[in-house]
Amino acid sequence: MSTLQCNRLCFHLKLAILWMFFSGAVFCIHVFASTTEVETNSDAGKFIMKSYFENYESLHDSSFEDFMAHQLSSSLCQGIPDNWNVGVRLSVRELSLIGEGSHRHLSSSIRLQIGAASIPKLPAHLCEVIVIQRLPLGVFADPFELQNPHKHKAFRDIAVFGDTNLELPSFQSNRSAVEFHIDAGSNILFMQNNGTEFNLLLPLHARYQPLDESGYSVVEIGEPDMLMRCSVEGKQHKQSCLFMSPPNEKTKSTSATVAWKIPAGMKAHAGFVSVITFVTALLSTLSIVYASMFWSGTKVSKT
Amino acid sequence: MISLKPRSILLISAIFRVGLILVGEWQDTHMEVRYTDVDYLVFSDAASLMASGQSPYKRTTYRYSPLLAFLLIPNSFISRCWGKFLFSASDLFVGLFIRIILKQRKVPDDLCTYSMLIWLFNPFTFTIGTRGNCEPIVCAIILWIIICLINGNVVQAAFWYGLIVHFRIYPIIYVLPIVIFLDPRFFRYGTKPLLSDWTSDPGKARQINSELIDKCAVCDVWKSTFTRSRILFGLISGTVFLLCTGFFFHLYGWEFLHEALLYHLTRTDARHNFSIYFYHIYLNYERELSVLEKLVSFLPQFIVQLVLILCFAKDLVFCFFVQTVAFVAFNKVITAQYFVWFFCVLPLILPWSNMKLKWKGLCCILLWMGAQTHWLLWGYLLEFKGKNVFLQLWMASLLFLAANTFILIVLIRHHNYGPVFRQHTDLKTTKTT
Repeated sequence: MSTLQCNRLCFHLKLAILWMFFSGAVFCIHVFASTTEVETNSDAGKFIMKSYFENYESLHDSSFEDFMAHQLSSSLCQGIPDNWNVGVRLSVRELSLIGEGSHRHLSSSIRLQIGAASIPKLPAHLCEVIVIQRLPLGVFADPFELQNPHKHKAFRDIAVFGDTNLELPSFQSNRSAVEFHIDAGSNILFMQNNGTEFNLLLPLHARYQPLDESGYSVVEIGEPDMLMRCSVEGKQHKQSCLFMSPPNEKTKSTSATVAWKIPAGMKAHAGFVSVITFVTALLSTLSIVYASMFWSGTKVSKT
Repeated sequence: MISLKPRSILLISAIFRVGLILVGEWQDTHMEVRYTDVDYLVFSDAASLMASGQSPYKRTTYRYSPLLAFLLIPNSFISRCWGKFLFSASDLFVGLFIRIILKQRKVPDDLCTYSMLIWLFNPFTFTIGTRGNCEPIVCAIILWIIICLINGNVVQAAFWYGLIVHFRIYPIIYVLPIVIFLDPRFFRYGTKPLLSDWTSDPGKARQINSELIDKCAVCDVWKSTFTRSRILFGLISGTVFLLCTGFFFHLYGWEFLHEALLYHLTRTDARHNFSIYFYHIYLNYERELSVLEKLVSFLPQFIVQLVLILCFAKDLVFCFFVQTVAFVAFNKVITAQYFVWFFCVLPLILPWSNMKLKWKGLCCILLWMGAQTHWLLWGYLLEFKGKNVFLQLWMASLLFLAANTFILIVLIRHHNYGPVFRQHTDLKTTKTT
């Protein structure tokens, strides 16, 4: 390739880059000069955990149970229509952790049962099962991974709430929760249902754990919380309400929690690791300095 | 002897990269293990946010200049592979620039071809761009700066330097050697600097160098510190950097400043990486490190950089190389993509090395790859098998530093050191009379 051709190619490259740069500057200024709307969730009350975090700063079991017991009570299906109870039961049939190492999948099998109670005439309705998986300190779900349409097309919605920082160790992070919305179908309350099963596979990742003398830290993940939300046609407009399994009728799966053993650093290593690290760095430095000064050719000529 | 023309090499490289990108897309769709780098998804998400008028920093872990997100906006409306093609094109430009630089220094054709091949068909480098990593853009600009400098085009070199420091902080380590390199004995207003041609005679190279040292009196160095070229370079590069930074600060505020700049300056990562410091950082993460500890961990880097600059600045390309190797090796965080930073300069120094591939060169390659593979094995056991092998992984990182240090010393030992420029004959004549 001749010098002239190289120069031409380089000139065209420079022009292209300059054009892109100035177009970009104009684009950015134009976009930010006009009023931009911040994207808002069109269904403001859609996520239960969003409501939770509007009332609480961080996720604690006691706060969450209090929220579920009191804050959501007004949303339960009691008044619309009057006095009907279709005996909705949601239970976890199986909970397990699949895989090895720092990246695993939490597998949950959820069963939905509609009881055989007397059902008065109900309007048309559309229901979804809401599963809230509270995660302990020490593990997290990647919200962008959960948005992968190929893997999660079965879900109507998935979102992660709480501490979504992917990089912090567990002792510098807070808890998070994943909320799934699964389409349960339309008019399912019209008929008795012995059990519809939904399988969830949630990819989880381990954070760096606090130091432990044993060299491992055990993190326990409990069963998810489950509700069903149905949208019914009311007298005036569409309304939705929640079904929750009564606490004394909650059926437990064979293992209520799963344990994840995660490697952790050992405090006993701290002293000698620091010393040897710095000594190694020092030795490398001295070697490079010596070699540079000896072989760089910075010697004064004898001539 | 390879008889391929440069145009053919570039064409084959381009076709190969297009094929890799297409295979990568197929792999992403059909296989569990993705070909595409996780970072590419981060860039693409940030670009989508920017395209919809939002801040790219709404995407967590996006820690780059908004320029990168801007370059990838076509991902949203042309093809999600646009960025990969852009990075691979930059990859090809690096190969082209390698040839341009070596030809300007009168390196024989066959050595130029080998140097191009070392970059274009290095498995490490061709996967970087095709997987969606943005480092080839940085490498291409660094090499373009070298081309500008060796052609005496200080203004353009300064412009690109200011831009690339804004884009990726690490090239700031080159500022001192560039300033030293803009020696008034070579850079004179209105005159193109004279390049020292390649020579296979190490004795001749040392002679040129020693003549230069003889003429270098302390008072002349002081008087010539603030020269037109140096002031121009500093002013233009500083202005470009501040303009870019100021513009994006105006658009995105403190979030931009923190994520794109300050994060990189203060970054410590307790998670395992190639750096010897990772386990020390993890073991001490729960307490605040003292000022003395921070200073002690910074000193090796500082001392090595200073000595390398003082010893090799006149041989600018070699200085860039050794500085980058040392910078990466002593950094508190080392990820595989950092290796590209010195891989792009390696082909430029090899014609001046008297180390033969058989067997010293091969030993160095095997040593470096072996040390890396050793670390990766322990890393796999920790991350994918859940075994507590922190100690072994840390020792592997010590070995990796030792391997890098050894190879660096061997390259220094076998390098035919010589300044890039030679003096103008009239100046030489004046000095000798």
